[in-house]
Amino acid sequence: MKKASIIGAGHVGATAGLYLLEKKIANVVLVDIIEGLPQGKTMDLSHAAPLRKYLHSIVGVNDYAEIADSDVVVITAGLPRKPGMSRLDLLATNAKIVGSVAEQVKTYAPNAVVIVVTNPLDVMCHVVKEVTGFPKNRVIGMAGVLDSTRFRLFIAEELGVHLSDVVALVLGGHGDDMVPLPRYTSVSGIPITELLSPNTIERLVDRTRKGGGEIVGLLKEGSAFYAPASSITEMAEAVLLNIRRILPVSAYLEGEYGLKGVYVGVPAILGENGIERVIELALTYDEKSALHASADSVSKSVAQWEEMKGT
Amino acid sequence: MKKVTILGAGNVGTNCALFIAEKNVADVTLIDVKPEYAAGKALDLMESGPIRDYDVVIKGSHDLYDLVYSDVVVVTAGKVREPGMKREDVLEDNLDVADSFVNELAKFAPNAVVIVVTEPVDAITYYILKRTGFPPHQVLGMAGVLDATRASEVIAKKLQVASTDVEATFIGGHHDYMIFLPQYSRVSGIPVTELLSAEEINWVREEVKNAGHKILENMKRGTAFYAPAAGAARMVETIIRERHRVLSAPVYVSGEYGLRDVCIGLPILLDKSGARRIIELKLTDDQKDELIASEKVLRRTQEKLVSRVKEKAS
Repeated sequence: MKKASIIGAGHVGATAGLYLLEKKIANVVLVDIIEGLPQGKTMDLSHAAPLRKYLHSIVGVNDYAEIADSDVVVITAGLPRKPGMSRLDLLATNAKIVGSVAEQVKTYAPNAVVIVVTNPLDVMCHVVKEVTGFPKNRVIGMAGVLDSTRFRLFIAEELGVHLSDVVALVLGGHGDDMVPLPRYTSVSGIPITELLSPNTIERLVDRTRKGGGEIVGLLKEGSAFYAPASSITEMAEAVLLNIRRILPVSAYLEGEYGLKGVYVGVPAILGENGIERVIELALTYDEKSALHASADSVSKSVAQWEEMKGT
Repeated sequence: MKKVTILGAGNVGTNCALFIAEKNVADVTLIDVKPEYAAGKALDLMESGPIRDYDVVIKGSHDLYDLVYSDVVVVTAGKVREPGMKREDVLEDNLDVADSFVNELAKFAPNAVVIVVTEPVDAITYYILKRTGFPPHQVLGMAGVLDATRASEVIAKKLQVASTDVEATFIGGHHDYMIFLPQYSRVSGIPVTELLSAEEINWVREEVKNAGHKILENMKRGTAFYAPAAGAARMVETIIRERHRVLSAPVYVSGEYGLRDVCIGLPILLDKSGARRIIELKLTDDQKDELIASEKVLRRTQEKLVSRVKEKAS
């Protein structure tokens, strides 16, 4: 039986637990430092088990020892964005939280594939990789799947076609730095560049870029969690069941796309070892420049973190 | 609950009913000429319902009157090929089979979208369209979905990736002249032309072309039925759930791609009305030539059906 541990029992973490149970993929451990919170949420989920026909267990704990032997660890712990707050504002606080989580993961789940969700995402991946010392294939960031699912929805709505016919590829950093690739975004194999005008595509790209912010603005308190939790589940499933899906993920590059020593969103095959292989696309000059600009911005944030750490 | 009627309770028809029931898409009536045969299959399926959680009802019948109130009719009735036979070799037999139900189909299910699976699918689609007098968007074949799912599986195996991430597009007749469009075939959005060499793409094309024959040769008796049933069920689900999906299917053309008065596989926007429209893709010059060649072969057969339609109508 596979085991997935989710660190952080907030909306994203608990909903990811729900989806993993619904898909009948693995036993789930939900960890949080707040006493009672993970226990309460998982008890509630367990109560739904007879109706929803779950095959796996879910438990809530405060003790990291319970994550032992996890195949996958998902890190969602951290503060959410408040309205008007940029992802970088979160850097200082969340780097501390994620750093301490990573210490525990290193101790108790040394063989797990780690999926990092906490924002600012690409920087948090660096934190986890550095603290755990795990090989690059086992520390992966969740961003591209979320940006892509939003882009897919907007395209499907615009064209009046079914969601599952739309496939999108969004690379680069999460949020303002994302690099959508319309040439690699298609409806039943037909690139959207043949179906939508450049202006329309630009409008949908812009909405995707600000997708997280749009939800924060509507909710006033809190941020999106259904789509992020679905994206986590998609990645965790690929790893837990070794289904080798090609998904856009934040990966540590060592020469691919001409980038070195930086986490940035690229397509990769996900399997039981985490990232099995990064796929290099034949990007145009403009697309490649956008990806490099995105990587530069991640590198700058990482430098900021290194500086903070030093003081 | 919507209603789907499946003509022919053989392997394709029954498994199509199974797939529809597994996803609780619609009630299903299976109709077969053999008395009680469809009733037996339907009962067996219904008896798995308590374990498989069916919300739908599956009935069997040998009375074409049970076509009434159908939202979709799937035509699977007819002879299947034996090893060594071509799809065209069952044409005459299956035209006779079509003659046995087209009048009732037109009378009892005048608003149903018809999905033809019976081979040779392009010709039988054309014949049923003409015999029922239904509007062209209402009568479709099932072929491109099958070729595409087979290609997805072949490509996924080659690349060692999940087959659910692979989409493929085939147009043209469902025969040796089927046309693979690699530029409209993708893995997670990446065109297969970036992931496979020209040689490998040719190999995929050949594998898919021969897939049906291969299964036929392996099984000795009977043809493939799981993937064809899954293809038909996918189309049924799209129509019943009022989704809009882009997929390839044999469809009647009146000017699209420069073709007229023939049923041939092309990408369509499928919705509750059937083929809402035909989507025109950018074909290479070679692919345009292939499409013309494919159409020529189909036209030769379908032209001959015109006089038969007239004769039967009088």
